[in-house]
Amino acid sequence: MSTDQSIVFIIDDDPFVRASIESLLRSVGYTVRPFASTQEFMLNERLDAPSCLVLDVRLPGRSGLEFQRELNESDIRRPIVFITGHGDVPMSVTAMKAGAIEFLTKPFRDQDLLDAVHRGLEMDRGRRAEAAMLAELRKRFHAMTPREREVMALVATGRLNKQIAAQLDLSEITVKVHRSHVMRKMDAKSLPDLVRFADRLAINTKKP
Amino acid sequence: MKASSDAREEHPFPLTMSAPSRDQQRLAASVLVILVVALLITAPFARIPLKNTEVLVPAYAAAVFVNELITAALLLALYSVQRSRALLALSIGYLFSGMMVLPWALTFPGVFTSLGLPDTGLQSTAAIATLRRLGFPIFVLAYALLQDSGPSVRSSYGSVRSSILGSVAGVVAIGCALTWLIVTSDDVLPRFMKDARNVAPVWQYVPGIAVSLYLVGLVLLWTRSRSVLNLWLMVVLCTLLVEIIMLSYLSGGLRLSVGWWAGRLYGFISASIVLLVLLSEMTTLYARIVRSVSAERRAREARLMAMEALSASIAHEVNQPLASMVTNADAGLRWLGRQSPNVDEASMALQRIVHDGHRAGKVIEGIRTMFKKSAQERVPLNLNLLISDELSRSQSEIQLRRISIQVALHEQLPLVTGSSVQLQQVISNLVLNAIDAMSGVTGRDRVLCIKSALQDSGSILVSVEDSGTGIAPNYKERIFEPFFTTKPDGMGMGLMFCRSIIEAHGGRLWTMDKEPQGAIFQFTLPSAGDAISITAETAP
Repeated sequence: MSTDQSIVFIIDDDPFVRASIESLLRSVGYTVRPFASTQEFMLNERLDAPSCLVLDVRLPGRSGLEFQRELNESDIRRPIVFITGHGDVPMSVTAMKAGAIEFLTKPFRDQDLLDAVHRGLEMDRGRRAEAAMLAELRKRFHAMTPREREVMALVATGRLNKQIAAQLDLSEITVKVHRSHVMRKMDAKSLPDLVRFADRLAINTKKP
Repeated sequence: MKASSDAREEHPFPLTMSAPSRDQQRLAASVLVILVVALLITAPFARIPLKNTEVLVPAYAAAVFVNELITAALLLALYSVQRSRALLALSIGYLFSGMMVLPWALTFPGVFTSLGLPDTGLQSTAAIATLRRLGFPIFVLAYALLQDSGPSVRSSYGSVRSSILGSVAGVVAIGCALTWLIVTSDDVLPRFMKDARNVAPVWQYVPGIAVSLYLVGLVLLWTRSRSVLNLWLMVVLCTLLVEIIMLSYLSGGLRLSVGWWAGRLYGFISASIVLLVLLSEMTTLYARIVRSVSAERRAREARLMAMEALSASIAHEVNQPLASMVTNADAGLRWLGRQSPNVDEASMALQRIVHDGHRAGKVIEGIRTMFKKSAQERVPLNLNLLISDELSRSQSEIQLRRISIQVALHEQLPLVTGSSVQLQQVISNLVLNAIDAMSGVTGRDRVLCIKSALQDSGSILVSVEDSGTGIAPNYKERIFEPFFTTKPDGMGMGLMFCRSIIEAHGGRLWTMDKEPQGAIFQFTLPSAGDAISITAETAP
């Protein structure tokens, strides 16, 4: 489990609760960083690694739920496992709707926390892989000439070389050359590969 | 709190205990004035006979009967609540008077002969009228005299019921017996009447005695406590006085004359007014009962809410160490269950469990101490020591938040008698609140100021002042309510507990504004000498 440098952050104001959760997570091999408050966490943590947050709902200053909202607003998508002393239904619904992994009521079963943390880290890993992949595709896309990007867009919509040549006012031979450059520069093994990349780029570039 | 103070301001029985209001006095006075005016207007025509008006006698009798019976029932109802013998006497008087109207009307010459009833002789009607006329004021006198004896010994519900039933049965039996005696022995009765219309000289004694009884009654009622009921009884006696003057003097004792009828009519109208007043008073009483019941219910709900708040806070306080213990135990097991067991980590987890166990125990102990009512827990304490203890305990917190402290403790502060845990809790709460209040303060000094002083009254005043944002005026009282908090994570319990602790020690806790910025929380506690008597009073 400690194969990658994944990190679990704990934010709880009660030092003994904090220490107990830290110990539990360390006992199964996680790297753990405990914090007493969200402020302390924000000041100290700028780590580029898969991570998961174990967050107490009741905290001095901002509550855990408020902190979750702030993170969402600033587009920091860290999986959050909530723990609370007195969980009530509306609170957990709010937390889950805002994307929490789990909402655990103290005292919780250790396996529940470990499962939730595991799931959170998996999610973060997936999200990070996805983000890395997208960044790579973008890099490849931007490495192409404007003409090649045009050709790629048209190929991805399923046009034939002849149609592309007519539309861009080029010879069919030139389109073929551009097309082979596109396949090479985008590192696409096949046409479906290229279509998928285009799709992903289109989806993700449309987003602000 | 509120409910009980309401009850103290208002008498539980407005009719018999509270003084009549201005409006009631005015109404009573105007009834009397109208009566006298009516008397004067009617006087010149008093002797004009109204022929063949016998048919109206049963109607009049029925009206009086119903009127006086309802009055008697109302008074009996009042008696069943209040258990004063005076009221019982008065209600019996009304019952007697109402009941005797029936034989009076039945024996009235020329009324029921048409119904085939035997003519009972001339004197029966007058004799019954005499009994009524003299009987009622005697009961009123009894009422006035019994009033001072106050509520009788608290008797059980059953005995009240039996006393009511017994009196009613007794009155009915005596009424029937008297009627029978009078009707059957017409010849031995005094000769009140010359004939069916005109009275004999013997009759003149009756109104004379009646008038003097009424006057004695008026004087007695006047000298007794001024209650609503007494006021209206005085009106009743005045009415009867006017009635007897009309009946016996102005109309010359002539039956069925203008004066005779007018007297009866006026009497009946004002008796109805009295009945209306009684009814409205009963309604007021009922409304008051409803109000006090709902106040009681509200108080109970508030208590329930406080209990809920309390259990929520206990649950929270205990849950924290409990959760920590469970997680520590899990962690310890996992450290030991590894392929190469890590004993150091496991023993650290165990140490944390030990600490959590003590922590939970302290919470429980604190709660128990806070609610233990026994006075044994109360010891002489030096508040200055408690204050400096608290300050040294929150030293790090205060330094961390860059707060400066000013302490002004009275050097010869007398001791207080109290629970050190509870009072420590109060001081700690107020200090932590003050620290929290200043967490948002920028651009000016954060000053925490604690003073203790000896007041002229001998009680001790402690004030905790901060230079924070202060308390909004509309929150001033609400901050002492359970569940009310201005802190995002507060339970809203602290100040409620503080206030109840201080009040349980015979003191007061309140808040006020600090100039130019901030809030002051102050509490007073009686010094040890004074406190002893208070704890003795409140101890169960």
